[in-house]
Amino acid sequence: MVEGSDARIGVFVCHCGTNIGGFLDVPDLVEYSRRLPNVVYSKDNLYTCSDTGLTEIKNAIKENELNRVVVAACTPRTHEPLFRSVCREEGLNPYLFEFVNIRDQCSWVHMREGEAATEKAKDLIRMGVARATLLKPQEEIEIDVTQCTMVIGGGVAGMTCSLSLANQGFDVKLIERESQLGGLLNSLHKLYPNNEDASRLVSKLKGDVKKNKRIDVLISTTVSNIEGFVGNYDVTVKHGGEDEHYKVGTIVVATGAEVYRPEGLYGYDGENVVTQLELEQLLRDGGLEANSVVMIQCVGSRDRDRPYCSKICCMNALKNAMIIKEVNPESQVYILYRDIQTHGTRYEEHYREARENGVVFLKYSPERQPVVEDGTVRVFDELLGEELILPFDLVVLSAAMVAHPDVKDLAQMLKVPVDESGFFLEAHVKLRPVDFATDGLFLCGCARWPCDIGESISQAFAAASRSSVILSAGRVVAEPIISFVDEEECSGCGLCEMNCPFKAIRVEETERGRIAKVIEASCKGCGMCGAGCPQRAISMKHFSDEQLVAQINALTGGGL
Amino acid sequence: MGEKPGSVLIIGGGVAGIQAALDLGNMGIRVHLAERAPSIGGRMAQLDKTFPTNDCSICILSPKMADCSRHPNITLHTLSEVTNVLGQAGSFKVSVRKRARFVKEKDCINCGACSAKCPVKVPDEFDAGLRTRGAIYLYYLQGIPPVMTIDKEHCLYLTRGICRLCETVCPRNAIDYEQQDEELVLDVGAIVVATGFDPFDPSVITQYGYKRIANVITSLEYERLICASGPTGGHLKRPSDGGHVEKIAFIQCVGSRDLYHNPYCSSVCCMHATKEAILAHEHDPNVSSYIFYMDLRAAGKGFQKYVARAERDYNISYIKGRVASITKDGDENPIIIYEDVDSSEPRKMAVDLAILATSLVPRNGVEGLAKILAVETDEFGFLKTDPFSPLNTTRPGVFACGCCREPVDIPECVLQASGAAAKAAEVLRR
Amino acid sequence: MNSEEGFEPVILGFLCNWCSYAGADLAGVSRFQYPPNVRVMRVMCSARVDPTFVLEAFTQGLDGVLVFGCHPGDCHYMTGNYQTERRIVMTQKILREVGLSPERLLVDWVSAAEGQRFASLVSKFTEKIRELGPLGSEAVFEKEELVRRLKASSDALADDRLRWLVGREKELIEEGNVFGERLPQEEFDHVMLESIRREYEKNRILLSLGDGALTVKEMAGRVGLSTREVLKNLVVMEGEGLVTVSHIEGSSPKYIKTGG
Repeated sequence: MVEGSDARIGVFVCHCGTNIGGFLDVPDLVEYSRRLPNVVYSKDNLYTCSDTGLTEIKNAIKENELNRVVVAACTPRTHEPLFRSVCREEGLNPYLFEFVNIRDQCSWVHMREGEAATEKAKDLIRMGVARATLLKPQEEIEIDVTQCTMVIGGGVAGMTCSLSLANQGFDVKLIERESQLGGLLNSLHKLYPNNEDASRLVSKLKGDVKKNKRIDVLISTTVSNIEGFVGNYDVTVKHGGEDEHYKVGTIVVATGAEVYRPEGLYGYDGENVVTQLELEQLLRDGGLEANSVVMIQCVGSRDRDRPYCSKICCMNALKNAMIIKEVNPESQVYILYRDIQTHGTRYEEHYREARENGVVFLKYSPERQPVVEDGTVRVFDELLGEELILPFDLVVLSAAMVAHPDVKDLAQMLKVPVDESGFFLEAHVKLRPVDFATDGLFLCGCARWPCDIGESISQAFAAASRSSVILSAGRVVAEPIISFVDEEECSGCGLCEMNCPFKAIRVEETERGRIAKVIEASCKGCGMCGAGCPQRAISMKHFSDEQLVAQINALTGGGL
Repeated sequence: MGEKPGSVLIIGGGVAGIQAALDLGNMGIRVHLAERAPSIGGRMAQLDKTFPTNDCSICILSPKMADCSRHPNITLHTLSEVTNVLGQAGSFKVSVRKRARFVKEKDCINCGACSAKCPVKVPDEFDAGLRTRGAIYLYYLQGIPPVMTIDKEHCLYLTRGICRLCETVCPRNAIDYEQQDEELVLDVGAIVVATGFDPFDPSVITQYGYKRIANVITSLEYERLICASGPTGGHLKRPSDGGHVEKIAFIQCVGSRDLYHNPYCSSVCCMHATKEAILAHEHDPNVSSYIFYMDLRAAGKGFQKYVARAERDYNISYIKGRVASITKDGDENPIIIYEDVDSSEPRKMAVDLAILATSLVPRNGVEGLAKILAVETDEFGFLKTDPFSPLNTTRPGVFACGCCREPVDIPECVLQASGAAAKAAEVLRR
Repeated sequence: MNSEEGFEPVILGFLCNWCSYAGADLAGVSRFQYPPNVRVMRVMCSARVDPTFVLEAFTQGLDGVLVFGCHPGDCHYMTGNYQTERRIVMTQKILREVGLSPERLLVDWVSAAEGQRFASLVSKFTEKIRELGPLGSEAVFEKEELVRRLKASSDALADDRLRWLVGREKELIEEGNVFGERLPQEEFDHVMLESIRREYEKNRILLSLGDGALTVKEMAGRVGLSTREVLKNLVVMEGEGLVTVSHIEGSSPKYIKTGG
């Protein structure tokens, strides 16, 4: 394949509707691109990623004998794979494609900079073209996928996901750190919206899991180390002080969440002022004796520390309020709320039913929180515009759902991000809600965000599907972005081997002496070895020193 | 003893159907994706941006649509509807009618010469009736397949035997008035329903003045107005006079949480109204928006943060209170008459534009489809599912995902679609 | 050289694919605005950034360079960002030797969820560079001298001594040398600074020799070091086989580079 001065580059500048076109002078960019070295074709598209745009790229490759393609558009993080595929389909090696980000990192962040934004885009395109000129074709590496998934967390999400995968014919290792499966379900009484018995649901799930020969359940087990990459994860778990090792193809995080202990809030004491979770216990044990119950919503949620809404507390409060009313029709139940979260087709009617059954709803504002005193709750009713004093036997706090405190450890082992509230961060909030950005890792249930049982179940099936996609393929194609050693220059000093986090480069004895050799399947392509090699003997495929320096040169035009 | 069928039928080519198709296709399972409209994309293609990231909707959908159309395991059937289903889970025999497009898909190059010449003018469905299209038309710009379609109900030749202008100007001879509907019979192991939603028509809530007052529009109409590829090129203009918009009222729960119409909550409207108000402000920093709500439903991931930012940075005020009615003044300005809950008094507010957050209802025709599929619907017409088997319909082997079950947002549609794919795969691999 | 009116800095940014690049995209998606002075280069890990790339940028007149990676402990490649930090700190030190403000080189951490932080960091850095003025305006020497000094730094960073030292920093501090002696960070920093100075001076002398022969006094004049400092370096360089005496002029030996 040709490179360097034989490069024939096609540049496609996307309007992205008005997302780019509304802020940058796209026709100017097209003109500018055409005049860059090695560019033989330049065009704009309304949406380069649309079928029309993709066809234009394909036709341009054919008709202009392009051997490099540069697309200046949104961001490579979402669209690079698409354009690489298109190149591949047209017979062009997908690594001869370069993406220039002129939307997420240009038009969208310089909306009022006018010409300066277009000038920046020109610089970026010039840099991209310079890099494209030096790109070389790369061959992808195919690696076998271990036909097994590890599901971390044995609650409703973890069990559901495991069952679905097992039913599709895949082996599952279900890891649970407690001594029994079930998670939060074990502590619940009845489930909304139809007052299903929690113990019945959890027993069924546990029974199905136990019966299923493909699911290997490991209770009282925690994850202590995770290495590897998609299709080939090496997980070390701890069980009774012993380490065990498993090889799996994909991992699903279903570690759930917990209920915040509202210490110091509303006089919480676990006896007269309890959480909804503690109320579930009371209801289950039949030990509830209360004639006047005051429930307070948004405890620890929607505040400065946790600005998010925990989603499930309103329905949960409604459910428990109705149960209390059912057990004791004479009882008085108050729900002090900020907004009632009864979304969807099924939940609104419970709100209506509760009101019809005499549950009293009082709206309070966060600026004027209810005060729990001795035997009474003082609340300023926003709708009435006056303060009420409510006598109580029991105050129930709808406390926030929070991430487990040790989520950070697991996140670090997996090398995945968490958001500011401690919930795991998925690859894309809209279109990849159960994927992590790292291939082969998935997530579902409350570990992702507070959700109810039905939602956990949907997410669990979703994670099973995403996992199945990888396992079904049997093979993954690894990106060929790996290091390579110029053996003539290598002095065998071993610095690379010492520092490589993946043990992917080793110094070996050869006839020419000690030389560093890259283990291609293990190399992750970080480039740490290359940037540190004392002899400058190591570079990276697709991110070589020449390519990177060429980008810098293209930016500055050559010199001081 | 035949081979177990290794394919799945997906009914509905919106984001949910597309996601399910891609997951199944990538699992190595063959997929038939049947879509009633001339192109896939569904409601998501009609949106400008999506909350809470404000991603350009078609930008993030397009690659998935492209993947679908190019996928070796996925066969797209547009202009197609299911007419009959026999069999049971593991082996269904489904009859699909593929309506005639009257345009040869292989030959049409989407040059637009035909639609430019067509003398017919009918309301354009994709642009929510805000502009007209010809009888030969492109469903929408980024549609797949990217070819023209002839609407046989309004085509002059197909109804009255006259015109044929499109045929004369087509440079590729792609017009074919003789095309017939096709009947396909598909052997599939499982069926996934992903037919999505329709927006509720608020004309029946006469006190809101929809269709009487020009500057009272629905959320979908607003999305088309503010979308760059929409009828006004993304410029927010008053429908009455094309004038400037500076003050906008968003009225929530139009048809939702309403015992006379839809008693349920449509889940997504608080968030999409917030998004729409943010977009208006981004277009013009002089815009101020007022969202009239009952309960603010912002429980999803990142939603509270989004709403807080909206209030703080985008000149958006949230007013708790039901809007009693909308009237207008001599300048066609909508006057919002509402009960301000904080002061308990009736108030009036004049605005330039009022946007009704209409309820999400099941797609037109789903009732008939449910009968064909022999699945139950609930009292609202959505496909009935169990709270703890949320993706199963009442018929084994038939699964449901997305808004055909109940109104949900896009991430929920996507993950339900993946979930339904897993369930379909379980059936095939049993 | 003071900062001019309306000076717009040009800044090169290295962003790692997994965290900071994603954070930058998030800033875009959230429409957090920031000044348009940064030109981004995407790398898989911030550890890909060779210190010589940074010098390349400055040598070519860029006013600032930023390198963003994942937060410590969160690096997608586990320890990449630790290496990045050590290398960039070393590079900042050499910039100070050159006479440039080390604040022109920024290393910081941005996660994929921190769109706002990315925009803030870039805005602040752009402002800082604007205050510092165009590259070299804080120095007392002219452009040609700046170019020579930057070249000497680049050569020093490309050479094996400093690369070896910074690459072994973690091991020396945490595990110790071949005798098992662990080096406290302070001591290591001292060793590093000394080495930086030596390598920098050495390369400045080598550069001054160019293709010609110079006396110690001539060299001292060219590079602005005392004759004693030059001589000290020459002794070491002679031992390393880098220079040799070519002939004597009057009573002064003339040195040249060996091996061309």
